[in-house]
Amino acid sequence: MIDRLARQVSFFAPAAVMSAWGTVMLHTVTSGHINRLLSPMFRSYVLVAAMLLLILSVLHLFLYDPAADPIPSSPGRWRHFVRWLVLLLPVVAASVLSPSALSGSTLANRALDSTTGAIPMPSMSAASNQDVQAALSADPKQPVPVEVTDLITLSRSAEQMKAFAGRKVRTVGLIDNHGGSSKLVRWIMWCCAADAQPASVALDGDTSTGTKDGTQWVEVTGTAQFPSTLGHVVPQIEVDTIKPTQEPDEPYLSP
Amino acid sequence: MFFAAFDLPTASASAGLSWPDVALSFFAIVLEGTPFLLLGAIVSGLVDVFLPAGLIKDWLPRSKTQGVFAALGAGVIFPLCECGALPIVQRLIRKGVPPAVAATYMLAAPALNPLAMFSTFLAFRNQDPWLMVVLRFSFSLVVLIVLGLWLARLRPDQMLRAETLVGSTRKNLELSQNPGLVQIPRPGWSLGGLQQFTGAVVRDFTGVLLFLVIGAAVAALFSTGFNRNLLAPIGQNVILGPLAGILLAQLLCLCSTTDAFIIAAFAPFSVSAKIAFLVAGPLIDLKLYWLYRSAFPARFVHGLWIRALAATFLLTLLYSLKP
Repeated sequence: MIDRLARQVSFFAPAAVMSAWGTVMLHTVTSGHINRLLSPMFRSYVLVAAMLLLILSVLHLFLYDPAADPIPSSPGRWRHFVRWLVLLLPVVAASVLSPSALSGSTLANRALDSTTGAIPMPSMSAASNQDVQAALSADPKQPVPVEVTDLITLSRSAEQMKAFAGRKVRTVGLIDNHGGSSKLVRWIMWCCAADAQPASVALDGDTSTGTKDGTQWVEVTGTAQFPSTLGHVVPQIEVDTIKPTQEPDEPYLSP
Repeated sequence: MFFAAFDLPTASASAGLSWPDVALSFFAIVLEGTPFLLLGAIVSGLVDVFLPAGLIKDWLPRSKTQGVFAALGAGVIFPLCECGALPIVQRLIRKGVPPAVAATYMLAAPALNPLAMFSTFLAFRNQDPWLMVVLRFSFSLVVLIVLGLWLARLRPDQMLRAETLVGSTRKNLELSQNPGLVQIPRPGWSLGGLQQFTGAVVRDFTGVLLFLVIGAAVAALFSTGFNRNLLAPIGQNVILGPLAGILLAQLLCLCSTTDAFIIAAFAPFSVSAKIAFLVAGPLIDLKLYWLYRSAFPARFVHGLWIRALAATFLLTLLYSLKP
């Protein structure tokens, strides 16, 4: 009886593991959760791999004979069983447990002091660049839509800083109140969430939103400033309004 | 408790380890790696069905040392990422490619890959990009030659897990890396090529996937819980700087096309610390350790680890000490 069960497990486990991975990957793509995990370049690969895994698991079931599968020997039996569980459980658990955004403690672990100037920032898209140009040449009181990274990019050019300093801007990001000062954070993702790095601008003024650090998306409207300390420019927004907002479609910025 | 030690006492924030973030990072790493692993397994399946055993061996130079240099050249010309390389390398060994040559290619493909050099140029475009590209490529090449010459002196049984040599069949079930997986064709279904191909893909994919899962878990733990600023105070030190670069590469486990962007931003590190990071990381780290273990025995991987890191350290130390 146990031998028969062991044979069944050993035959069906590969198909179960591959179809579970395929289903988890497919669900991650179709639910949009993949936007919180991988940069756009890799997303279609996951979709193709998910479908191939589902096909492979069907092929495994049809092409091979369950009755001819050898019965695993009893000392190694448990090891094989655990092996399949290790392939099955962690990925399913991680897909259920992974949160929508990286938390404040990871932010502190991955944040670097005074290095923002060295990171090549994801630049403004052509469309938003046009919006910015239009907004800049229109009513100066109208807030210009920018990303956190755009303000850091601007802070590298004296000419652009001059054009932008004192302008009203509107931007979204995650609020971070660690260490006595407030920052608006946007994560930059190169390949996947494991290599994501935070980029931030300082917030000056009332930032009390009563929200949780690192995980609450906020929309900030205020005045762009580029104060310089010991020759190092730190972009800053003097806050007019700050309010909780929806997570953007692309929570990370990718180059 | 363990990860409390990772918090920098002087850091402004009281960081810690967030387990949900570890789950997020783990999930992201396996999702990123799985398509490449599957692609590697599919190529391995095609090689199994279509490439006659010994054909590549006939193309390769007779001497193992020359073969190692051919593998280094192949590493530049045929870029391959770490996850995709493992099933193919194991299959090539079974098809008669000397293990030293296959292992040299496995190490060289991510390290000397033109994409990695291009991303290094982009990442350092504001900080002397040509110097970084030239140092990264030349130091990686020197370390790989050292490793390749060492590999050429080893016997296959010193390098390989038993099952990598023989593969998994009914006869050597106990040796098999994937012991629960011996696929016997259904009676009356004579789809020889498709059955052989599917069997090879399923075995190779699930065989290496286990090690990707373990490696990704370790990588997620450290890339999330380790406070990078902890290494900042020693990053400019002549001797400790390169060590800090190597240590950070071991813990963060980044792919060779991404690592330059992360380290370019790390101002506390000297050039030699950054180069140590960029040379050591693609050769071995805590994730690759587990991936290599899918094909090679622990003793060999430990030897490889020590030699790769020692050679990287010596080279970057020499650069660090230059007047």
